[in-house]
Amino acid sequence: MTPSDKAELWTPSRRGLIRSGLGMAGLVAAGPVLSACSVKGDDPGGGSGQTIKIGFVSPRTGAAAAFGEPDAYVLGLARDVLGKGLTIGGKKYDVQVIDKDGQSDPQRGAQVANDLINADRVDLMLTTSTPETVNPVSDACEAAGVPCISTVVPWEAWYFGRGAKPTDTKAFKYVYHFCFGVQQFANAYTTMWPQVSTNQKVGVMWPNDADGNAVRTSLGPLLQKAGYSIVDPGAYTNGTNDYSSQIAKFKAENSEIFNTFPLPPDFATFWQQAAQQGYQPKIVQVAKTGLFASQVEALGALGVGVAGAAYWTPTYPYTSSLTGISSKELGAGYQKKTGKQWTQQLGPSLALFDAAAAALKAAPDPKDKGAVATAISTLAVQTPVGNLQWGKGPNGNVVATPILGGQWTAAKSGKYPLDFVLCESSSDPNVPVAAQLQPYRA
Amino acid sequence: MTTAPAATRPAGNPTQLRITRSTSASRITSGVLLAVGVGLFAVPTLFGTNAVVQLTSLFIYMILAVMWNALAGYGGMVSVGQQAFIGFGAYATIWLTQHGVSPFPAMVLAAVSAAVLAALVALLVLQLKGGQLAVGTWVIAEALGLLIVLDTGLGGGTGISLQGLNSYTPELRHAYIYWLTLTFLLAILGALFLLLRLKTGAALQAIRDDEEAAASLGVRVRPLKFGIFVLAGFGCGAAGALILANTLFIQPQSIFGVQYSAYMIFMVLVGGLGTFEGPILGAIIFFVAQQQFADQGAWYLIGLGAVAVLFALFLPRGLWTVVSDRLPVQLPLGYRLSTSHPSMKEQHG
Repeated sequence: MTPSDKAELWTPSRRGLIRSGLGMAGLVAAGPVLSACSVKGDDPGGGSGQTIKIGFVSPRTGAAAAFGEPDAYVLGLARDVLGKGLTIGGKKYDVQVIDKDGQSDPQRGAQVANDLINADRVDLMLTTSTPETVNPVSDACEAAGVPCISTVVPWEAWYFGRGAKPTDTKAFKYVYHFCFGVQQFANAYTTMWPQVSTNQKVGVMWPNDADGNAVRTSLGPLLQKAGYSIVDPGAYTNGTNDYSSQIAKFKAENSEIFNTFPLPPDFATFWQQAAQQGYQPKIVQVAKTGLFASQVEALGALGVGVAGAAYWTPTYPYTSSLTGISSKELGAGYQKKTGKQWTQQLGPSLALFDAAAAALKAAPDPKDKGAVATAISTLAVQTPVGNLQWGKGPNGNVVATPILGGQWTAAKSGKYPLDFVLCESSSDPNVPVAAQLQPYRA
Repeated sequence: MTTAPAATRPAGNPTQLRITRSTSASRITSGVLLAVGVGLFAVPTLFGTNAVVQLTSLFIYMILAVMWNALAGYGGMVSVGQQAFIGFGAYATIWLTQHGVSPFPAMVLAAVSAAVLAALVALLVLQLKGGQLAVGTWVIAEALGLLIVLDTGLGGGTGISLQGLNSYTPELRHAYIYWLTLTFLLAILGALFLLLRLKTGAALQAIRDDEEAAASLGVRVRPLKFGIFVLAGFGCGAAGALILANTLFIQPQSIFGVQYSAYMIFMVLVGGLGTFEGPILGAIIFFVAQQQFADQGAWYLIGLGAVAVLFALFLPRGLWTVVSDRLPVQLPLGYRLSTSHPSMKEQHG
């Protein structure tokens, strides 16, 4: 957030209002006597008719802070290009990107979204990473009639988690999403797991939260259809400290494959207890955590050989249409600039800005929120995660993007201890496969 | 309690003592403040959506702060479980809208049902004292949150969106929520004002200062504490419903989160525990701090904690006492002992 944005929140009239709030003391109730009065609408544009404002909400602190780690870098790339302005319909617009921290909390996420909508008057909202941030921001945008593009929430958790019915073909008018769904997980798992010979018994730790519930209702049946039997000790609550009963069940059933969608601290707890209590499956397939090298490194030796999945890696053969940066350059640029290892968040975060610029250009008037929303519904755009094309299903608001299976291995060279290698690319065969899945601690 | 500069100087015998509750100045002040409160209903007709939304958030914080102050500052009940009623109010609103009640009546009903819940919980919780009460209320909040997590009809751990508000235009929706918030705030402040102004006021302040001494003087402690607890349940339930209306999406882990208690304690501690005006001031300070510094991430939270600790150590009575000691007029809530004898200062308490 730039200093000028802060200043806008505190216009003199606001100060006066807040001060008059002091005068609330000692008052008796008064009915809503003025409720019949007309309500003042907002002044259109607020004197910034030539400036397009884009809001960006992501978790920078809190439980999902790891997702927001590369945001500063991606925002820098986007601002470099957008700072030069966009020419749309022969008219030049300045573009301003305002980023906010959703603090991994739904109430805070909604609050910053409302600030962006009402105080900064953004023309387009972008949001990413976990239902806790994305779902409330999407709700605020849909209610306020502001177009919004979001990513990095399994699309079922985003679509059905916010009240859409399975029969709805297009439940929302202003909010659009691109992300993998349960089908892509099933593709990845059923392609990758046969690379190691197992008894096909999958012990699952699916929590009672947005992701866990979506996975339980949709992924379980798909895996069973593919010939796997599910050993499900039931939904656990995030933050559980003792997993002995689940571990005992997995051992008793001899689940040679283990799959979980936990919060990172919960997986660390579970996995250490599993090691202590002698549960060692042949395949350890984690999602939601283990996305980033830092989380896997934190597990120490227990982390090497854990299988995961990626919605972007530097080996994706795609280029950002807005910045012209290839996936390889994106990963290398981040490592060079920050000294940290690439993370798969880089791809979708930059893709958001590709989609944003394409949507603004596709609309007849980029300041017309309804027109921008309509433009997104049929948008086709090239991004680091692939070609996104809305309107082709699974429903009118969602593009299902690939997620590809891979494994964390000890790096053979370079400055980083771990390497993520792709073991399958069933959901997008254009992406090269680097290795075969190896049994855990074989 | 507090020493105040002279509000009145009754003439006559220099050693004569008089107890006054209000002066013409304080009555005028009250009238002006009442007019301002009613005047705030006009905000949505005069200002844009941003002012309305921001003030709604501020008023919700005020409701929370005032309610926690009523509990801890007057009732002597240090609860860290008020998020039970915040979450209950929010989820009751969801449940009612799922059963055909339109959102705004549902929010009022949710606040009332939170008061009913508070009455039931009070039977258990008021047996506890001090630290036990703090732990007990927290346990109840966590248990309620877990029950919601298990209820798939209410979205379970996934969270759930409030449906039915999309039929209003954004401006009108924000205005209605604002009016409802302001009505709740004024109703709660009015109820508390009456409690303090009537005979119960002296009793409450006695409980605040020393519960056992008050009981030994014949103050009926239990019914008063019960009443305050139910009022706080109502207010926090209303705040929960309003938070939901403002954000449209809730998750049990967040709405039943203990951070709400931390916010309430911060606002009351900084504003002034056991004063009528303190929590309102505290809410404004918290709101401004959040606006200005929330983008600093972890440092913002560390800063909030540090400020709370500093206040507890060096200004335990909060900021309002610093202000009120210098104000020429006060609200007609306490009892003032006045005399013209130069060696005696006027007492307000």
